[in-house]
Amino acid sequence: MASRQFATFEVAGQLFGVEVDTVQEVLSYNEYTPVPLAPPAVGGLFNLRGQVIAAVDLRVQLGMARKALQGPVMNVILRGDGEPVSLLVDKIGEVVDLDDERFEPPPDTLSGPTRELVVGTFKLDGRLMLALDVNQAVDTYRATT
Amino acid sequence: MEDLGEIVAEFLLESHENLDQIDRDLVALEQEPDSRDLISRIFRAIHTIKGTSGFLAFSRLEKLAHGGESLLSKLRDGVQPVTPATITVLLAMIDGVRSILSSIEENGTENDVDIDSILAQVHAQMNAGEAAAEAAAPAAAAPAATVPPAEASAETPVPLDEAPAAVRPEPEPVEEQRKPIGELLVESGGAQPQDVGSALAQQLEGDERKLGTILLEEGKAKPAAVNEALQQQAPKRSIADSAIRVDVDLLDTLLNMVGELVLARNQLVRGVMEIGDATLVRSAQRLGMITSELQEGIMKTRMQPIEHIWSKLPRVIRDLSNSLGKKVELVMQGKETELDRSLLEAVKDPLTHLVRNAVDHGIEEPERRLAAGKSAEGTLTLRAYHEGGHVAVEVADDGAGLDVDRIAQKAVEKGLLRAEQVPNMDKRDIMAMVFQPGFSTAAKVTNVSGRGVGMDVVKTNIENIGGAVSVDSTPGEGTVWRLTIPLTLAIIQALTVDCGEQRYVVPQVAVLELVFIDGNSTKIEYASGAPVYRLRGKLLPLVRLDRTLGLEVGGDQGVYIMVLQADGRRFGLVVDRVLNTEEVVVKALNSRFKDIGLYAGATILGDGKVGLILDVSSLARRSHLTADADRKSLEGSSRANSAAGTGERLLVTAVGERRVAIPLDTVTRLEEFPRDRIEHAGSREVVQYRGQILPLVRLSHLLGAYGEEPEGDTVSVVVYSEGGRSVALVVDRIVDIAENSTTARRDAEEDGLVGTAVIQQRVTELLDVRRAILAADPNFYSDLENDEMLVEA
Repeated sequence: MASRQFATFEVAGQLFGVEVDTVQEVLSYNEYTPVPLAPPAVGGLFNLRGQVIAAVDLRVQLGMARKALQGPVMNVILRGDGEPVSLLVDKIGEVVDLDDERFEPPPDTLSGPTRELVVGTFKLDGRLMLALDVNQAVDTYRATT
Repeated sequence: MEDLGEIVAEFLLESHENLDQIDRDLVALEQEPDSRDLISRIFRAIHTIKGTSGFLAFSRLEKLAHGGESLLSKLRDGVQPVTPATITVLLAMIDGVRSILSSIEENGTENDVDIDSILAQVHAQMNAGEAAAEAAAPAAAAPAATVPPAEASAETPVPLDEAPAAVRPEPEPVEEQRKPIGELLVESGGAQPQDVGSALAQQLEGDERKLGTILLEEGKAKPAAVNEALQQQAPKRSIADSAIRVDVDLLDTLLNMVGELVLARNQLVRGVMEIGDATLVRSAQRLGMITSELQEGIMKTRMQPIEHIWSKLPRVIRDLSNSLGKKVELVMQGKETELDRSLLEAVKDPLTHLVRNAVDHGIEEPERRLAAGKSAEGTLTLRAYHEGGHVAVEVADDGAGLDVDRIAQKAVEKGLLRAEQVPNMDKRDIMAMVFQPGFSTAAKVTNVSGRGVGMDVVKTNIENIGGAVSVDSTPGEGTVWRLTIPLTLAIIQALTVDCGEQRYVVPQVAVLELVFIDGNSTKIEYASGAPVYRLRGKLLPLVRLDRTLGLEVGGDQGVYIMVLQADGRRFGLVVDRVLNTEEVVVKALNSRFKDIGLYAGATILGDGKVGLILDVSSLARRSHLTADADRKSLEGSSRANSAAGTGERLLVTAVGERRVAIPLDTVTRLEEFPRDRIEHAGSREVVQYRGQILPLVRLSHLLGAYGEEPEGDTVSVVVYSEGGRSVALVVDRIVDIAENSTTARRDAEEDGLVGTAVIQQRVTELLDVRRAILAADPNFYSDLENDEMLVEA
């Protein structure tokens, strides 16, 4: 049985996951430089060992109001296409090993912006994890309503 | 290149270098046809290429090089003279070699390059030479002509490398390259073996002096002998060990890492300063110094003299001037000036374009030059020098110069300028119009230039690398195109500024000056909503950074105006605070922010935070957008006005108790002169102004205004210039700039005035500018009498 590893994290109480090999690293960071006139989902820029990284606020991408960036915020830094991009999340979860049989397409009742970002649902013990489409998740020009 | 064998790759690299040298040598040879040194050098270089290509089985290349070599051997043997035609053929041959080389580089084959036509030219040249030579000296020419070319090359008196050696110019074994100095001295008899032995023993025991020094100081060897031995050692080392080829990517990586190191150093130093521990501070300072030196060193590895790109230009100029029937002498100054490699690449095409343009349009035909009293041969000067953290590269010609009036006319035709703007504009600003897209004043389109593409591309390319272009020209004396280029792409001089709660970075190359607005003596004004600032009497359009960025808009007091120049336009950027200048390392900005267009990149600031680098050109374009919008609304209102009144813009001044208005179109500048600088020439008052004697006329006297002379150490004057002459009208005070949109207007009843109008609810007199000017300088218009440019006020 094929299985995949997912890095999990929480946004607004919901557990999300991305495949482990798309993740470069996870860290918390304090200061973000806002980018005026950038799409609303751009949380800001920060300095990762001398590299300028754009942080995408997953909350906004999911259609929720943006939270003021105060104090340390967790970043899931994705390798991205040539340039790393970070997803701002509330809380980091574990890395889980999941069999494909636990996978199901997203439920039909799921709608709105979240539906566009989610490729499927994994049934974990006691809770559900939504697997994110990494490219969609960091696409800040995606229309968020 | 990876697919090719290492040998071929190295051959290509070497040959390209050789070809560039041959190009230069050929052009030089044309100048001194008798130089045997040059011929020999060219011959050797071609021979090396021929030998290696034979070895690598590039038969076409070999054949072509062989043809060139045969022709050269005739030149070398003096059988045939060096003529421009020969040089042209040889240059064509070199081009052929080049295209074969690039074909090899791209496809690994030489088969699709046509060499027959070039070879035919070469043979034609040789036959022509033979015919001439036979006629002159049949006996001498005959044997040379019958010598088979291959043999001719074998007979060359110059010692040539064997072909395989040319492929891999590997240094000879190191032992042979650097004999120990002791051995050399013993061999030459400059020192006794036992003395050298004891000196060596001394060194082993810890004597840190050099062997030669020991021998000298103990009198065991003569200084001359040691010197000779050292010289024997030195040149060999310099050939074999002093240079290596390094992958540019590796250098780039190193440079990036040093950039990181600089940032880490900055952060560390800041932290350590806060702690204040003396030992740590010392270590941090030392680290700082080492880092700076390391940075400098790495930067140097990427630096190359500008000669690298200039070296191709003599050829370009020769070909072009020949085809145009012009004579051009090329002068190069400062060719050792160094620039970052990546910048050199970026500057190459713009520079070539400027040079072609200068030869095509700048320098006149010989007949025209002679008619203008100049020498038939034009001079093109390339100049490079360092200037305040930048490198300036100039292309100067001594041609006819730019025709400012024509440029202005053209700009008006193309809708880039309004006709009434022109008299107010600085000569240089008008000339800068040539950098606008689609602008060309060339009367005829040649295949070189004149199609209106080029100058704007030059400008865009140079601005893309953070540089600037300007042009200055004196009619009849020539034109100077000037490129200002940053030393490197990766690190720029920048000003950090605060706006809102954030810090932004502005490249210093764009910054002309800074003005602090205190709200009293300096203030921001509004022209129907558009913010402007009077910068030495000229209105400077302002862009509020906070508004542009969509942030909360702050007040007009206690802010700074950065006077910026980009796209040939000047504007003021209003920011909250200007902090300091520093060197910042430019980081590429995530591609998702490119569409915003306001940011040129990002950098890490001293506190470790990310700072956005503002794109000054795009800010300028934004300011133009609003300027264009304003212009439209202005035009709208002026159309409305023309139905009612004149709609001209007026400068309102105070003269005694009276208000006198001067049409703004006729005003060149507003100045303040210290009262004590006013001198007398005859019955007139004058001041020295920009190397001219500027006659003054007091409007109060002219108009018979009564009232006290205003107090103060300075006088306000309105300067009016035309055709190189200027006069200054002294007023008591500049009051305002106003639109004359009134209908209440009466014709003049008094001398020196053209009428009276109600402006801003007050009666204002309209000055007869022509009269006032004639009062200051009766000869003002005599030189211009035939010119239509007179502005009737």
